[in-house]
Amino acid sequence: MDSGEEKRTRIPFKERPDWADVKPVPQDDGPCLVVPIAYTEDFSETMDYFRAIYLADERSPRALQLTAEAIQLNPGNYTVWQFRRVVLEELGVDLHEELKSFDRIAGENTKNYQIWHHRRWLAEKLGADAVTNELEFTKKIFSQDAKNYHAWSHRQWVLQALGGWEDELAYCHQLLEDDIYNNSAWNQRYFVVTRAPLLGGLEAMRESEVNYTVQAIRASPENESPWRYLRGLHKNDTQSLVEDSQVASVILDVLTSKNSHVHALSLLLDLLCHGFEPSEDLKSAVDVLTPQSCSPDLALTKRICSILEFADLMRVKYWNWRKSTIPVQSPTCQNTDRLADLCARMSDL
Amino acid sequence: MAEEDDAFLMLSDLDSEDSIPMFFDKNRHICYLEMMLELLPSPYQSQEINRLTLAYFAICGLDILRSLDRVDKEGVINWVLSLQAHPRDEAELSNGQFYGFHGSRSSQFQPNDDGDTIPNASHLASTYCALSILKTLGYDFSLLNSTSIIKSMKNLQQRDGSFMPIHSGAETDLRFVYCAAAISSMLENWSGIDKEKAKEYIINCQSYDGGFGLTPGSESHGGATFCAVASLRQMGLIEDDILSKNVSSCFINVPLLLDWSLQRQAATDGGFQGRLNKVTDTCYAFWVGGVLKILGAHKFIDYEGLRKFLFTCQSQYGGFGKTPDQLPDLYHAYYGFCAFSMLEEPGLSSICTELGIPNGVYPGF
Repeated sequence: MDSGEEKRTRIPFKERPDWADVKPVPQDDGPCLVVPIAYTEDFSETMDYFRAIYLADERSPRALQLTAEAIQLNPGNYTVWQFRRVVLEELGVDLHEELKSFDRIAGENTKNYQIWHHRRWLAEKLGADAVTNELEFTKKIFSQDAKNYHAWSHRQWVLQALGGWEDELAYCHQLLEDDIYNNSAWNQRYFVVTRAPLLGGLEAMRESEVNYTVQAIRASPENESPWRYLRGLHKNDTQSLVEDSQVASVILDVLTSKNSHVHALSLLLDLLCHGFEPSEDLKSAVDVLTPQSCSPDLALTKRICSILEFADLMRVKYWNWRKSTIPVQSPTCQNTDRLADLCARMSDL
Repeated sequence: MAEEDDAFLMLSDLDSEDSIPMFFDKNRHICYLEMMLELLPSPYQSQEINRLTLAYFAICGLDILRSLDRVDKEGVINWVLSLQAHPRDEAELSNGQFYGFHGSRSSQFQPNDDGDTIPNASHLASTYCALSILKTLGYDFSLLNSTSIIKSMKNLQQRDGSFMPIHSGAETDLRFVYCAAAISSMLENWSGIDKEKAKEYIINCQSYDGGFGLTPGSESHGGATFCAVASLRQMGLIEDDILSKNVSSCFINVPLLLDWSLQRQAATDGGFQGRLNKVTDTCYAFWVGGVLKILGAHKFIDYEGLRKFLFTCQSQYGGFGKTPDQLPDLYHAYYGFCAFSMLEEPGLSSICTELGIPNGVYPGF
């Protein structure tokens, strides 16, 4: 409750001797009050003094102090931030100090866009000097909130603009060790694998990454993140996805275990739609799961949709629609299915 | 402050699950918005810069609830218009500044007697909200100086196709591409935006998992995905009900996007989450639901499950909170109303999904 203490001991500007020469400028709301806000006294007074200083374009140490107080109360006000940057430059303030003093404010407002924009502005000015500090700072944020979108965005910007990629893959690994469900960490992993200059890109990393991902899937097959990551590793290259024996093998393992089958079946369905030739083992794994109400002659793809209608009840209409559109969606699939349908009809005869 | 905190605690204690009505409590929602329109409690002061946005939630919300008659339309229109930034002359339009709407009085300054340059901090999101309010109130846009908005908006588009929200510098991402598209769409003038570049930026934001992140490389997010899809729709780059057409040749991966969006409805409670493995939240029923609506796939949602979840977030004092255990706020209330409108709740106005505003159509009347 530090901030509460501070508020109680705050001396109003009108009682501060060094502000005696400033005439506050009140907010002029005009005649019609639409969503007026019940401002606290501190808030109104601080903004009234800010207006005065801003209009006078006073670039002084006390103006800098005033913007800090205004930001505490009104962190979303971009005019205050922008004016602070003008004053910082005018006064030639050491930006390392500025960065440090904002660690605390940022810590309290980790979801405010303006604070992060200010950090980026500072880091940009400091250049390579800022890398270690910014990577450490975001790490500190992630130790409290590992999925903070602003902090991830800042970290990605630091890596791309200023560097510091060396330990990033290891850091992603560490975060995933802490929480394998952390999708932000999976996303960052993808970011590193596809963009880190020294790793050689997606194709060079694919095999080792598939190994890593398949392990994570085996450990928790209901976790959607690694399944999506696995597809991502074969982005824009369905052929390599279809031909990857590790992918088929992890699907088989999950289907024959007692775990949730939804993601495995969903991926298998897409594979089949891209011309994947399933092994006998995979076919019989699907057979076992197929509901009895299903005609045994139904095409494999359609049977998978039928299983999903039961296994993923929330999306029963989606899987039903998928079932009805399979031949339309993919030419390869269309042929396979037509063939299956033809076989089914022939066996009926 | 201490007293207020106590009052809030008390409210949240009362907001226990037993007392939450399991129906859409329209009258309470109207009361809630009327109260907010009259005076926002002081915790909103940290959002003071976005007062136009808060007004947008209250006024467009009342229209969804079909209660615009409670609003002093002329007064609101004049207030909104008073927040517009005007260049002094034609030449100023090419000085790099944006002449849109200020978010609130605190970023707006009147010219002084010496005719010095007035600091101008008009903002794309505020401009989107201003136009949304004006459109909802039936204001005739031909009376508006819209040329200055469109012409100066060009100054905000970046080389990568994204938009900056204010000319003095801020983060650039998909949110502001969306605002620029919605502004162009409402003003029916697309000359302020390089569509090809915007399209390229949007494509770069589609993640490996099918959703969209706010910037290229960032994690897929319900809100960002809405901004991407709704922008493309408004720019005419994807067709309405695209699923009924051939999607394989589309420049974004539609099947993966569809699958990602539908998987955001959590099997656990029926609500929508904004990202993988995150908790469900009222607003994503609109953001992700809106994506599905634009794709022509809203019908695949489990309506019953979603309604049940939203009812748990409905406050007994009107409005919606982010999650079942939270107090209502204007943002979640508004997107809760939008979500119910898309679920075809009787007695609500339907909405124009891609603009995020009521379209003045009252089904059943």
